[in-house]
Amino acid sequence: LKPQSFKQQKEAKMRCSKARKLISPYIDGELTESEKREFEAHLRVCKGCWSEIEETHGLHQLFENTEIFSAPFGFHSRVMANVNAKKPGWSPMIPVRVRLLEAVMVLLLIVVGAISGSFLGKGLLPERAGNGLTASLHLDVFNSAPPGTLGGAYLAMTEVKDEK
Amino acid sequence: MKDSTDDLQIISKFKEGERLAFEDLILKYQDKIYNLCRHMLGNAHDAEDAAQDTFIKAYQNLNNFKPNASFYTWLYRIAVNTCLDYKKRPFFESIFKHSAETEESFQERASGEPSPEKLYENKLLGVALYKSLARLSPKLRAAIILKEIEGLSYEEVAEVLDVSSGTVKSRISRAREELKRLMKEIREQN
Repeated sequence: LKPQSFKQQKEAKMRCSKARKLISPYIDGELTESEKREFEAHLRVCKGCWSEIEETHGLHQLFENTEIFSAPFGFHSRVMANVNAKKPGWSPMIPVRVRLLEAVMVLLLIVVGAISGSFLGKGLLPERAGNGLTASLHLDVFNSAPPGTLGGAYLAMTEVKDEK
Repeated sequence: MKDSTDDLQIISKFKEGERLAFEDLILKYQDKIYNLCRHMLGNAHDAEDAAQDTFIKAYQNLNNFKPNASFYTWLYRIAVNTCLDYKKRPFFESIFKHSAETEESFQERASGEPSPEKLYENKLLGVALYKSLARLSPKLRAAIILKEIEGLSYEEVAEVLDVSSGTVKSRISRAREELKRLMKEIREQN
């Protein structure tokens, strides 16, 4: 259809680049009355924009055939079970922060413990005490056959025999 | 979705300590939220997880909800953000695994009693649409799904996505252009 009036002729002068931007809002009914009038006047004289709007409208109609999915059976019960396990106001970030803080504190304690232990071992403990401690831990202090036992008597006999 | 007064009454009960009132909100919105997540993520398993996460987050933060906003746009926003977080997961797996199901769905939903050729054409277009949606950037996908599938207005989409109406207008327009281009590509490959 050709534009009839001078006003329509003026409205039809909309540029294609502007008209293309109006296709989507036109289909969605989001244009103002004056924008709509101007756009429709342009469509009457522009085959390119007309075919563009037909294509976009086809896509819009295609969406009407898309499946509408319903929540699976028992969905709300599962959600309620989950929310009851967590109190309102709970934020997943809080436990992570607390856990991080705990980890940092433990690490700090280990480091402080190691440093102070090393300091005490080197500076505060007397040399002898250190040696005594080491000696007490040595395996040589362990007597496999203490005197007064059967093993002790046997070892004593073998030692006397060896001396002879 | 329009009876927001009901929502506010339920929320008020919830805030007064009647925690079970939240179940009414789940029952009212579970299908819409699941449908949104299903289209955003493309497979049933992730969609259920995301929809559940959405309601759990809503439950945890309902005390902070301000009644001057619409509850459903607030809930949709949580759902969209949850789905955007899920985008790192293997995407749209089952939509291709279950392409036969998708094809059947399109076939059944085709209007009237079309000829076998028309049915076949619809089937191809439907599959091409799903595949194209999968290739769309998450922001454009969210905008077009909220508009075309959830039926929200530009203003509502803007509220959900927390952007201006102008941005929504531009995203929907770009999404449609991209979809047309991608669908052509897919159909040429076939």
